[in-house]
Amino acid sequence: MQGMNQPGLLEAPEVELSENLDLPWLVVVHNDPVNLMSYVAMVFRRIFGWTRERAERHMMEVHTKGRSVVWGGGREQAEHYVQQLHSFLLLATLEKSS
Amino acid sequence: MIFERSKNGNFRFSRIHPLLGELLQAVAIDPWERYPDGSMRLLPSPGQSEDLEDLRLDWQDHVQPGLRHHFDLERAVVSEDLACMIQRKGKIPSWTLEISPDHSDAWLTTLNALRLALAEEHRFTEKDLSGKTPSDLETERGLALMQVNFYAFIQECLLQAIEDESGV
Repeated sequence: MQGMNQPGLLEAPEVELSENLDLPWLVVVHNDPVNLMSYVAMVFRRIFGWTRERAERHMMEVHTKGRSVVWGGGREQAEHYVQQLHSFLLLATLEKSS
Repeated sequence: MIFERSKNGNFRFSRIHPLLGELLQAVAIDPWERYPDGSMRLLPSPGQSEDLEDLRLDWQDHVQPGLRHHFDLERAVVSEDLACMIQRKGKIPSWTLEISPDHSDAWLTTLNALRLALAEEHRFTEKDLSGKTPSDLETERGLALMQVNFYAFIQECLLQAIEDESGV
């Protein structure tokens, strides 16, 4: 991802497990070198209704680790989230939880 | 180039150099026509595992056409705004572009789609896009890199303005 304006706001990324992550389907967002970090964080806030801090934590996880699990739960809802993420041109996939 | 909020609340880019004005006009091109290989990135697969084969087929048949239609509609909004660009003539000619806040999502999507298609077409890496390497403007690849970076700057301006407006 390309840089953002306010890196000073960020703490080290932590894995924030949603209460739904024990369910079978995961929505994963993958890193790409083009999407702006500020744009990715904005998309997370729009789609999931997250706080800025949570959105930036997941954005940084995508950037530093290459991927972030952003949601877990039933397949139909997971497909819906992947479709929404694709509409914002993020690289998102559906994975079955192992 | 100056970026500011106009009195009517629009996002306004003014004193745009003619060269940058031309690059802005290029935002309205159809990436599927201009960059057929790079545009593959705009409609990614929903997953790679074997048990998602049915979903991949369903995605191709139903979801991806809808997404492409969505991107086309957003690009049409951008085209309308570009058609309203005002040219200031004089010793130093320049352009002014106004974007309604209601159109900002269309701009972010369209700029992003074009940047992604360009980057995929030219196989730009994270290092290429870091801004540490100057664009070689004598090559098509170098010009494309400049376009990607210029559009990123426009996106950043809009994102910052949206953030300021939301006040969170």
